[in-house]
Amino acid sequence: MSKPFLTLYCLIIYAFLLAPIAVVVIASFNSGAFLTFPPQGYSFRWYVVFFNNEVFMRAIRTSLGIAAITMVISGIIGTMAAMFYVSHAGRLKETVRIAMLAPLLLPEVLTAIALLFFVYSVGIGTQTMFGMVVGHVLITLPFMFINVSASMESYDPSWSMAAQSLGAGRFTRFRRIMLPLIKPGVIGGCLFAFIISFDVFTISFLLKGVGMSTLPIQLFDYLRTNFTPEAAAVSTCSIVLTMAVVVISEKVLGLRIHRF
Amino acid sequence: MTEVSIEKLTKDYGQGPAVNAISLKIAEGEFISLLGPSGCGKTTTLKMIAGFEDATAGAIRFDGRDVVHVPVEKRDIGMVFQNYALFPHMTVEQNLAFGLEMRKIPKPQIREKIAKVLDMVQLAGYAERYPRQLSGGQQQRVALARALVIEPKILLLDEPLANLDAKLREEMRVFIRDLQRRVGITTVYVTHDQAEAMTMSDRVVVMFGGRIAQMGTPSDIYERPANLEVAEFVGQVNIVRGKVGGGMVSTAFGDVPVTGGHADGTELMLALRPEAVELLPVNSGAAGVPAKVLSSYYSGSLVDYRLELAGGATVNVQTFPRTRFADGEQVLVHAPAERFWPLGSAA
Amino acid sequence: MNAAPAKKGLGPLLLIAPAAVLIGVFLVLPYLNIVVMSFRMPGQGTPYAPGFTFGNYGKFFADSFYIMQVVNTLWIGFLTTFLCLVLGYPVAWQLARGNSAFRALGYALVLSPLLVGIVIRSYGWTILLGNNGIINRTLSSWGVIDGPLPLMYNALGIIIALVHVFLPFMILPIMSAIQGIDPSLELAARSLGASKLTAFRRITLPLSLPGMQAGCILVFVLSLSAYVTPSLIGGLRVKTMAVTVVDALIDTFQWPFGSAMALMLSVTGAVVVIIFGRLTVMKWKA
Repeated sequence: MSKPFLTLYCLIIYAFLLAPIAVVVIASFNSGAFLTFPPQGYSFRWYVVFFNNEVFMRAIRTSLGIAAITMVISGIIGTMAAMFYVSHAGRLKETVRIAMLAPLLLPEVLTAIALLFFVYSVGIGTQTMFGMVVGHVLITLPFMFINVSASMESYDPSWSMAAQSLGAGRFTRFRRIMLPLIKPGVIGGCLFAFIISFDVFTISFLLKGVGMSTLPIQLFDYLRTNFTPEAAAVSTCSIVLTMAVVVISEKVLGLRIHRF
Repeated sequence: MTEVSIEKLTKDYGQGPAVNAISLKIAEGEFISLLGPSGCGKTTTLKMIAGFEDATAGAIRFDGRDVVHVPVEKRDIGMVFQNYALFPHMTVEQNLAFGLEMRKIPKPQIREKIAKVLDMVQLAGYAERYPRQLSGGQQQRVALARALVIEPKILLLDEPLANLDAKLREEMRVFIRDLQRRVGITTVYVTHDQAEAMTMSDRVVVMFGGRIAQMGTPSDIYERPANLEVAEFVGQVNIVRGKVGGGMVSTAFGDVPVTGGHADGTELMLALRPEAVELLPVNSGAAGVPAKVLSSYYSGSLVDYRLELAGGATVNVQTFPRTRFADGEQVLVHAPAERFWPLGSAA
Repeated sequence: MNAAPAKKGLGPLLLIAPAAVLIGVFLVLPYLNIVVMSFRMPGQGTPYAPGFTFGNYGKFFADSFYIMQVVNTLWIGFLTTFLCLVLGYPVAWQLARGNSAFRALGYALVLSPLLVGIVIRSYGWTILLGNNGIINRTLSSWGVIDGPLPLMYNALGIIIALVHVFLPFMILPIMSAIQGIDPSLELAARSLGASKLTAFRRITLPLSLPGMQAGCILVFVLSLSAYVTPSLIGGLRVKTMAVTVVDALIDTFQWPFGSAMALMLSVTGAVVVIIFGRLTVMKWKA
């Protein structure tokens, strides 16, 4: 393929990738009662409807709460696992890596089904948030692990040895030497875990308890029966929120987030 | 066999010339080395000869034909890359066949040529191996075979020994040189290792800052360096300073005759190689300048001494370890007048 | 790097313990539990009843409806994978080898859809593909078509949306495979007389095979198990296996039968992936 032709081709693919997202954003400013295109006029009408819709607002609060809890738990477990993987795993290294990435490699729907059966079988059920949070932690753990272990790969173990030779104990070595150096990976991983948890659908859908709908679930239910641009307004707010997290972390905090 | 001629060849990436109007003639079957520190333009020059870089200005002629606008694949070159660039998904045989297939050589002939070239690089029996199953030295020889099997007009080598360990590197120098002699192919060899350039080449081209600093046989370059930079780049050297007076330069080693019309009173720099200096015991009664041994470094076949002359100047000397001198011992140093080589006036 | 292996007692093991417990108890055990569940007796008003049976599998194989659904799901998976490969490869190449200014932007454009929830992206496609959607309205306003094209509530719509959702998962592994190819290999091919196109075909393309293999497996598995996109785009008319399974669990509480179906889909998918892996085995790789 010649250069200009290839460039044009790539632009078409990028347009294809962005089209459905752009369409949702544009539709959210529609002033009409239905999803017509191009919109009959532009207004924030559907945003007002959305902000006054207690069902959606509660779903956002639920999503944010679960994402925050997930981020903290996944952050701690994932960072510890990455530390083990990089400096102590020895011959188990490959096994640990595959196990840590398993939730990412296994089909989400199957994991959700498995967890649903399991929490019932052991009598936990879905009366509490427990099942859902476990599911979210599982699904975000690989991203946490990838980010932290990537930032540790550039960590030279001789720095820890140097600190040890200078008299630093295990905890001091972690706090004064390792943590400052791997902090970008930890923060990046946490932010990404937050986004993933905020957007995840299938796990939440199968493991949700009564009255615990997250935003994606509420949106999905709404879309099965309604076609007003309110859903577009909800979606746009969700997109803006996740994009804001990414832009802030990558541009403002200067973090490099590893997605794979 | 092909004669290569380069005229005012220039490459400018936009921040001043990387290669600055160099001209060079390479005779048929000649082995020439481009020697210089990294960033001197030697690799860029090689890439322009190969066709991987477009020349900003100037001409490259193979047997009188300008090839500047000929694409790489039509230039009929054989190239050996620093990291060998063996195709990892092809066996040795498939790697060797690749260039022949591009030339639409019939299958039976390809097999014949491959058998011959594998013999030549002493790798018969390795045809079915994949590159990852070969040692560094074997990969190197496959790369060489792949470049030669197409019987190219010229052979280009880009630091091919840089990734080998020291012992293997010395073996390969001899191997490549012998092979090149046998095939008789015009060869351009890029390296930053002066020993490599000296042992292998018919002629060495020393490059600094995109220009040719000196061009000549290895002994020309070593014994009669064109300037201080060349002298220091090619091996170790003592720089001896002295004032000119009546066709002689008065140095710490005594008076040394110079030719070349230097005005009386100018301060000259002279190059003196460490192995050109003789060390003698003080009681030997021979002619020489007294000096004190500061330190010595024994390396088996040779000993390097660091000495302080009576005047306070230091000098490095390399000798055979037949007679050893202890640190702090007084000795006599003697350097034959003909071993001093003028490098020009001291700035 | 891994110079100091397990030393000084149990200290380091405490680091991995929480993750090990989480994955062992909440991932490995639940997956094994699915197998057990598929042999349980169907319940009346409860998800399952005491006792074990092969009946769930019997029911699955007795009804060609389910077999056909697996076949359809596989077919959608194949097409999605193939389209992702063909559409994504040039983009991956451009991202790996194109000029750098364009590259950073392109990379961001490929990754950004991954940051938007799957429900929202599928919703975007319903706006585009519906009978009253943008594409149909635009085409009919230009007079190109009389009635709406059937773009939604069929396999075509599902495939379009799935290709969109999974394209980044094809592009990224191929991109990193191409980036991992030493550029001097192409130069070597050129020096041996190959044109740019031949160098690509004989060197770059085969060497990017591992990336294509990984991307294909990833996209295929993801599209077999996709739930949101097929259920929103396919509606009630076209159902993939994953949708049928989830509906059986959520709407009708047939857990044992749902498990049997999920396992049959998984086994078929795994067999396809293994065959694919065998067919694309690369002898030259370590």
